[in-house]
Amino acid sequence: MFCREQVAQLRDALPEIRARGAELVIVGNGAPHFAAAFREDFALDGPLLVDPELRAYRAAGLRRGRVEILSPRLPLNAIRALRSGARQGAVQGDAWQLGGVFVIRPGGALAFRHVSREAGDHPAVAAVLAALAPDAPPIDENVAPPRAQVWLGRALGAFVDPFILGSFDRTGFRIHALRFDPTDLDVDLAGRRCLVTGANSGIGFETARALADLGAEVVLLCRNRERGEDAVERIRTETGNARVALEVLDVSDLAAVREVGDRLAASPVDVLVHNAGVLPEARIETRDGLELTFATHVAGPHLLTRMLRARLEESPDGRVIWVSSGGMYTRRLALDDPQWRKRAYDGVVAYAETKRAQVVLAELWAKELADTSVVVSSMHPGWADTPSVASSLPRFHRVTQAILRTPAEGADTVVWLAASPAARETGRFWFDRAARRTHLVPFTKESPEVRRALWRLCEKHARGEKPRVPAAKQERA
Amino acid sequence: MGIAKRLASIELSDPDGAAHRLGEYWSERPVVLVFLRHFG
Repeated sequence: MFCREQVAQLRDALPEIRARGAELVIVGNGAPHFAAAFREDFALDGPLLVDPELRAYRAAGLRRGRVEILSPRLPLNAIRALRSGARQGAVQGDAWQLGGVFVIRPGGALAFRHVSREAGDHPAVAAVLAALAPDAPPIDENVAPPRAQVWLGRALGAFVDPFILGSFDRTGFRIHALRFDPTDLDVDLAGRRCLVTGANSGIGFETARALADLGAEVVLLCRNRERGEDAVERIRTETGNARVALEVLDVSDLAAVREVGDRLAASPVDVLVHNAGVLPEARIETRDGLELTFATHVAGPHLLTRMLRARLEESPDGRVIWVSSGGMYTRRLALDDPQWRKRAYDGVVAYAETKRAQVVLAELWAKELADTSVVVSSMHPGWADTPSVASSLPRFHRVTQAILRTPAEGADTVVWLAASPAARETGRFWFDRAARRTHLVPFTKESPEVRRALWRLCEKHARGEKPRVPAAKQERA
Repeated sequence: MGIAKRLASIELSDPDGAAHRLGEYWSERPVVLVFLRHFG
């Protein structure tokens, strides 16, 4: 209804638009046959395009309707889907996607931008025509979220956050996203080199893709060459950014980190994302004699950060991001048996312990780099539907599937920390673009001695003081 | 600003299935680019 009104207005203004030497280009998000009917209905003779995957909508920073969050149907649907063990089906088109209007000058300068805040929120045609004057100053309309919406997002967030459910899940993302400012990611990362570990799937892939989309040079650090090459190809095709490359690296292998780290340090480094993660069923020991989650989440990333430190310090806006997990809230940093030589192995505990260690290590690195411009952050992505979650936690995945976030939603805060000028506070732990507490219960607080011991332990492994064990490294997926 | 640059490389189809690179529309003249909420 509202859309028709807008198109009718613009169609009537078409002669004036063309008299100013401009063209009217219309993009819709439905299926092509809807577009064909639409073109006939309105007797449009200008370009009309379809974007069912919402790629251009996303690139343009357009909003999704807030009705979605307020609608009681979303939680009810989620509960029903949870009960039946089914996943919600995709809807035809995207009922919640909002639109917008842009005036783009030859060469790509943005002269006018109106980002719809709700259905029926359209710019005045006169304002659009005025922006077509070659000397008109650029105008932004409704780009920042309305204050009432930010307030609502904060209030709802404060309400759901203590419950985990409704916060870590997709509903939580939508609630928290109410206070996101879309201009935060209105950045051009051309000239910035970003490294992402574990980038061939899930949150790492979405992070790499989003950074490439913002114009950055991106290096994917992946264990498996074939899967890494597939990911590079996909990102190049989908973003049109050719400056996407692969370095094969198993971050749990300290010798490999030394070798690849040397090579990576031959060029500038602006962003380093420690995303690679594992959750093994049984204890696996690496060639360095380290337990696998400790090597992958802690020792390897620490060494890589150390090797790239000088490059990050040279960057005008260096950033290091540790992708931790909400599971870290359950464990205290303990270094009695970090390699699991005395205890019966429990992969979930090993995972949570090393994710806790990442949060502490990020704080220690922030302190180490306090005199530089490098910003070090850790974050947790909430519960996202990634291949790792599906394979490592099959039961959790089956039960929660209907309420899991998309990998892109899980990656949102990683991208924000890597790219946004709004994220400049160092040494904090983030979730959904807000700094969070690192402890929910007093039991998990660590002592200053243990913190110092973690740094010493990482330094010891980084210096390679531990003798390498010749035992063959076990195969893993 | 980065938005036009990001949009420029995206290819979308017209209702007849032909692909168009968005940046081509503003290579020579200004463009009013309208994103609809949905068709009709």
